[in-house]
Amino acid sequence: MKRFHNLIYAVLGLCGLLVTASSARAQQTAADSSVLDRLTTLEQQVADQKPGESHFMVAGLTTFGFVSNKTTFTAPGAAGQIMRTNSFGDADHYELSPMLLWRHSNNLLVEFEPSFDGSSLGVNWANVTYFAAPGLQIRGGYFVVPFGIYNKRLAAGWIDKLAGDPNGFDLPGTDFGIGLSGGLPLGDMKWSYDVSLTNGLQLLPDGELQNAGIVDNNKGKMISGRFSLLPFSNSCLEIGVSALHSNAGDAGSSFTTANVNMYGADINFVKSLDPILVNIKGQYNRIEVSRQTYPGQNDAPDYSFSNVSSAAFAQISLRPTGADDKFLKNIEVAYRYSSYNTPANSTWGANSHQNDFGVDYWLNWRTVLKCTYSLSHAVSTANADQGGTLGITNVNALYLQFSVEF
Amino acid sequence: MKRKNIQAKMWITMTGVLTVLLIVFGSCAENQKIAAKSGAQLWAENCQRCHNTPSPASFSHSQWVTIGMHMQTRAQLTDKERDKIVAFLQQ
Repeated sequence: MKRFHNLIYAVLGLCGLLVTASSARAQQTAADSSVLDRLTTLEQQVADQKPGESHFMVAGLTTFGFVSNKTTFTAPGAAGQIMRTNSFGDADHYELSPMLLWRHSNNLLVEFEPSFDGSSLGVNWANVTYFAAPGLQIRGGYFVVPFGIYNKRLAAGWIDKLAGDPNGFDLPGTDFGIGLSGGLPLGDMKWSYDVSLTNGLQLLPDGELQNAGIVDNNKGKMISGRFSLLPFSNSCLEIGVSALHSNAGDAGSSFTTANVNMYGADINFVKSLDPILVNIKGQYNRIEVSRQTYPGQNDAPDYSFSNVSSAAFAQISLRPTGADDKFLKNIEVAYRYSSYNTPANSTWGANSHQNDFGVDYWLNWRTVLKCTYSLSHAVSTANADQGGTLGITNVNALYLQFSVEF
Repeated sequence: MKRKNIQAKMWITMTGVLTVLLIVFGSCAENQKIAAKSGAQLWAENCQRCHNTPSPASFSHSQWVTIGMHMQTRAQLTDKERDKIVAFLQQ
């Protein structure tokens, strides 16, 4: 009887082992299946990332916000006229610019940035760059003309510490042509060059300048260039000089002999003086148009003036990046003084200056909330006989701006 | 005649610039201290010249290569700086 019981126990034990083994095998099969599924997913992801011949990506930036504006215009001998506006952004402070980059190979890059500024859809740049050799990039197409640092490097909303742009830095803008650029070591130092040959500028009947566009207005071309030196090994200081020459008159017009020379200088200093990150930037531009006679308006006689303009800005911003407090280290305060003087006795002559005060909060490295208060003062030096308006214009503006790079 | 002179000056200037560049290309060299800099150090020094230093997590490995080329055309980084910074951001 005892033997029979032992036999029963042995059979039951064997069944238990078989059931346990079967269960373990089922669990293992399920685990294997899960791993295989994950492996398949990963393989698909790797296949999606596999380098092919096409390396396309979309980045870009957007900026929007609110501006409260008070403009006071005081004509000679008259009381001031005040105009107030509140609006969600305007053409200067609203932008959506997706940036399309296509790396054709490790030597060829295509860049295209369309832009909507609230009133029109345009193109900021569309060019192709060939990385020909160390320190030599060759580009062609529609690109920012190398002159100073503001337009090419600092104007983007997520980079600019203040909501608006300093006045007078629109030229030479963006143009069609070819260019060479590069950065090279020089012992402890570093230097860079950026030169271009483009269609150039066009002189308008009132003496102002604009880009000629894709079809040039004359046979001459514009040569422009910037050279910079970074004298310290940590690249904290960059000093640049720029120059430009362009034929500007329309072919066959009375401005045939007109040409433009521009000169510029810029400085960029960024250094962490623990716990504060100090950021100082500045630029000076001078535009000289050769002496011309301009057609009078409304039967007024032709007139002439010294067509020289200048613009400058100096900016400082401070950010306690070394602070322990997370909120504090994301705060940045900024101040910019800018001046812009246009030719006296032209219809658009004025001497103006502007002070901008800003407080920024960085949500991350490429997302910022800005609050900027701006005070500008302009005294007209216009030629009233030709339709220019004399008087003093003061503008106070408060900007609340959000900007992100994506 | 004056116009032709100006154009001639322009082309002479451009040719001169190119000549100088070709000469300088051959003579430029970085010293050992600069050559020894890490990608992280170059990232910290160069990116903040214009904007905040980017997070490596912002773009994929492949995208960083493209961004590196784009930034080289904007900020005139040297080739070694670009390569080291991109390698650092890809980690």
